[in-house]
Amino acid sequence: MAIFSCGPADTIPALCRGERGLLSDWIGGTRRGSLRTCALLIVLGCGCYGFTVGLWHGWRMAGYVAVKLPAVIFLTLLLNGLLNGMLALVLGSGIGLRQSLQFLLTGFATMSIILGALSPITFFATLNTPPPSDPAAAQWHAMILLSHTAAIAFAGVVAHQRLLSYLCEFADTRRAGAHTFIAWLSGNLFVGAQISWILRPFFGTPGLAVQFLRPDPLRGNFYESVLTALRNLTPL
Amino acid sequence: MTDEPTPPPPAPSRPESTSQPPVLPAQPAGRNPLAGYQPLDGDPDFPNVLNKLLKKPLSLVHHLETSEESGRIPLRLLGITLACLAIFGVVVGSFSGGHQLWAAPVKIMGGLLFSGLICLPSLYIFTCLGGLEAKFRTIAGVMTALIALSSVLLVGFAPVVWLFSVSSSSATFLGFLLLALWLICSGFGLLIVTRAGRALGMRNTSHLGLWCVVFLMVTIQMTTTLRPILGPAAEHFINFREKKFFLQYWSEQFQAESDAAARVP
Repeated sequence: MAIFSCGPADTIPALCRGERGLLSDWIGGTRRGSLRTCALLIVLGCGCYGFTVGLWHGWRMAGYVAVKLPAVIFLTLLLNGLLNGMLALVLGSGIGLRQSLQFLLTGFATMSIILGALSPITFFATLNTPPPSDPAAAQWHAMILLSHTAAIAFAGVVAHQRLLSYLCEFADTRRAGAHTFIAWLSGNLFVGAQISWILRPFFGTPGLAVQFLRPDPLRGNFYESVLTALRNLTPL
Repeated sequence: MTDEPTPPPPAPSRPESTSQPPVLPAQPAGRNPLAGYQPLDGDPDFPNVLNKLLKKPLSLVHHLETSEESGRIPLRLLGITLACLAIFGVVVGSFSGGHQLWAAPVKIMGGLLFSGLICLPSLYIFTCLGGLEAKFRTIAGVMTALIALSSVLLVGFAPVVWLFSVSSSSATFLGFLLLALWLICSGFGLLIVTRAGRALGMRNTSHLGLWCVVFLMVTIQMTTTLRPILGPAAEHFINFREKKFFLQYWSEQFQAESDAAARVP
């Protein structure tokens, strides 16, 4: 089994390039500290990016979102960890519980690296955006929401493309790897959306107070709010 | 031994690379994207670096990647950038005169270098996503080459800018002209980035295309952040209070210009 030797500074480009040697060492357990490395990358990358997301509402909100954005990822993996591992096994991929966690952390670490690299640009963009007290704050809020959503979507798509290619290569069969990927993606999106709902606000609606969590964060859920919004859009 | 000129050395292989060399589709003659990725001819002094920046920029990239003493080239490129932007900035500032003669060059130099600095991490990560195996200092060198080439070409357009600045009193028109010139000059600079990416082994340059769009938006927004660069100097060197997106700012300027023209009998 090849040992891929690289220091922490080499881990970032190796992850971005999708180097198989690094992941082989991590999955095979021949390189220690992989979970810690991925967790650190998620904290730093998503933390820096989250800071720029919340900065429009001031430094306090920036600090809140810097904590909450990595927390969404960790809480999702915590709640879905057992399920992800079991699905991987039952779908015939041959990937165990620890390996499932490693795959998912690797994917999220890649996403965090991309977001962290974009954070200087989003920081500059936020500094140039009129404040929430501006008369056109609603439009600026919509623009911020859309641009950050696009950036997170881009990072997420790229990272999950890598995850899919890893799974197809390391699973017992490509078909089992693809099925496992779809199962993980569905479960994590489903749970992640609700965790994001509970941990809101991230962008902060103009006019509402800056808070770490909204009052009664566990009341209601993401899917009920989507359904309500759809009902409000249609006359039915 | 003959008197015939020796052929240029072939593009060196990358012995420590763990990835396969790029397999390029068949290209028409003269359109090989790796053309020019060869050792630097001569010493990396100012005249030679400027010459190669215009004629064979990939040879600079080759030197950045392979030479142990590659730090001199980014410094030379930085010097070229500062000199060219200072000249261009004075020409731009001559439109209004007064304080703008020094404020415009300072803002243009500072703004462009700051834009490069905040876009550098994303350039490195996006090139890695495309499969590129290069050192961070090489990518930083490519960024300085991009900015340097754009700056050199801006100086080439300086006489054009001067002509319109002395024959027009419309800051909005001149502003649009400068933006258009920046898009042209930076386009040539961004070509270096994509060609360097291919030469250094990138398999997929689509991420670079996205990065190029982001870089252009950052530089254009920087002109709005640091306003006024054209027109009379304002009370504050940089207006941190009034924040505007560049599209909003330019549409307001255009509207104001149209309204002023409509009021003229």
